[in-house]
Amino acid sequence: MSDDLQNHGAVFSLLSLQLAWRNLWRHSRRTWLTAGAMIFSNVLLIFMISLQLGSYDMMINNTLRAFSGHIQLQAEGYNENQRMRRSIPSILSLTRRVRESLPDAAVSARAAAFALVSSEERSFGAQLIGVQPAWEPGVSTLPGLISEGRYLEDPDAAEIVIGAVMARNLKVGLGDEITLLGSGWDGSFAAGVVTVVGIYRSGMADLDRSLAQLPFGYFQATFFMQGHGHAIVVALDDLDQVAPALSTLQPLAGDDLVLLDWDALNPGLKQAIQADMSSAWLMYGVLIVLVAFSVLNTQLMSVMERTREFGVVSALGVRPSRLAMLVLLETALMALIGLAIGLFLGWLVALYFNTAGLSYPGMEEAAARFNLPDRIYPSVSPLSLLLGPVVVFGFCLLAAIYPAARLLRLRPVEAMRAA
Amino acid sequence: MRRILLTLTLLCSSASAADDLTARDLVEKAMDHWRGLTSWGISTMTIHRADWERSMTMESWSKGDKTTLVRVIEPRKDAGNATLLNDGTMWSFTPRINRIIKIPSSMMSQAWMGSDFSNKDIAKSTDIIDRYDHELTATETVDGHVQYTVTSVPHEDAAVVWGKEVLIVRDDYVLIEQQFWDQDGVLVKKMETLEVAEMGGRPVAKVLRMGEVDAPEEWTQLTTEEIKFNLKLSDNLFTLSNLRNPRQ
Repeated sequence: MSDDLQNHGAVFSLLSLQLAWRNLWRHSRRTWLTAGAMIFSNVLLIFMISLQLGSYDMMINNTLRAFSGHIQLQAEGYNENQRMRRSIPSILSLTRRVRESLPDAAVSARAAAFALVSSEERSFGAQLIGVQPAWEPGVSTLPGLISEGRYLEDPDAAEIVIGAVMARNLKVGLGDEITLLGSGWDGSFAAGVVTVVGIYRSGMADLDRSLAQLPFGYFQATFFMQGHGHAIVVALDDLDQVAPALSTLQPLAGDDLVLLDWDALNPGLKQAIQADMSSAWLMYGVLIVLVAFSVLNTQLMSVMERTREFGVVSALGVRPSRLAMLVLLETALMALIGLAIGLFLGWLVALYFNTAGLSYPGMEEAAARFNLPDRIYPSVSPLSLLLGPVVVFGFCLLAAIYPAARLLRLRPVEAMRAA
Repeated sequence: MRRILLTLTLLCSSASAADDLTARDLVEKAMDHWRGLTSWGISTMTIHRADWERSMTMESWSKGDKTTLVRVIEPRKDAGNATLLNDGTMWSFTPRINRIIKIPSSMMSQAWMGSDFSNKDIAKSTDIIDRYDHELTATETVDGHVQYTVTSVPHEDAAVVWGKEVLIVRDDYVLIEQQFWDQDGVLVKKMETLEVAEMGGRPVAKVLRMGEVDAPEEWTQLTTEEIKFNLKLSDNLFTLSNLRNPRQ
């Protein structure tokens, strides 16, 4: 008995499906127009979202690779307040152990001090970083951005690499001497004279103006560091490796040191992305609502023009709820067409730009400001492809609820008399 | 009746005018008292932190409002490091690199050699007299001395990092306390006089302690070991060449 009913139901819904499909093509031009709106918005959404996600990935990776790395090991409290004495003792041996436990990652030690840098004519405050010339290029893109001269080589040489803006402010060039004046790890006066061997241009105004790098050994001697340093920087291939690396490093951190991930190191980054994402969704929302209204319009029209037909069918004993389901099914089929074709075309578009990259006039300046390369490569992932179309699909179904609900109040006799 | 009111009003207004004058005078007198017309002294600075402490001894000379020379004598490692403030311009000499460096005005509010004193504090700068408006806000008697509290607010256009400073000056013009408030009305750091002693023929704030309010275990103490006032000091003392090659 129940088998029979189920069977009956299956035949019934297959029948509804066939009916819905046929109904759709009774006005094929109208269906295509509405589906076209969906396809258009889906392709547009896929393109925009994959572009956006691609640019976020790029933004994160570029910011992290520029300087901070994905993970840093620091003394407790150093990240909040960069005091000279909040340091890691015997940093070089700890760095070696970190390197051994993460063979695939790039690992480098740093020490930092705030000091007055002066040329013959001018003086400015600057952040001085002692870096390991052999390892630093693995964790930071700065060494690769040297526009004049070369990067540091000898770990003990009295040499310095400065940013282009600092070089301009100090009025110095390659081979010129700079004096450093600050206070050492033991509180005593630290001073040194170094030669400019390289000038880098990162495009990030902060770095180019106020950051300078010295070889680690020379930094140790000048600032009386006694083997101390301030950060062990770890750079990974991508963001997914951060969590496993953190758990690998946990035993090395002990009680006095803290492990900081990229979000803790760059607190503004995630917020900037979230803010950008929510403002973009406002725009997408407008697009999606417009498409939903066009569906509402189409389905309402198709229900109204079939009032007589529905009246006859319901007079023959078909329940109004089935009729409402039929309308929803029609909409779902139409939305599915829009989804499938939109997804396919959107995927093609995203795939094309994913390999070719995308650039537009004026982008170079904007990109420099946000530390992006001058070409964006949209990301092609299930998330970037499906997010927009699925939301459109959902809203189209929602839009069909009103026309379908009208059928629940259908009175057969009146409906049959309708013009 | 009306006459009484009028008299009262007059009295009040003249009283407040006198107060304004007194407040500024108090600050000026305290600064004069602190520096003397000329002065020479030896003092020890102790920088205290939660996990370490460090001391250094310095010799200093000052002349008038705007000229100060400070030279480190101990520890040996730092001996010879010197700072010269001459009419708002600050120079620093470091024997290790044998160079004189001009400290930009933007660095004047930065800490001096990791201490809680700023470059400006070390140079005993007296900007506060002219760049602030002073008002007497309280008077009380402590240990037989009258102490005046002066609240000083920087002029609108003054390039000053503080929102206001509060000075407590004793009736013999010894500066008892100086408070530094930020623009949001929060007390950030304060300098207290821990000991007053008769030195160089006048009462002097012998032990000063400067510290941030929210880090009570971190402070810098400046103890005056010896001081003399109103000596004959040659102008040559305050030159760049003397900064580099002391002739004393």
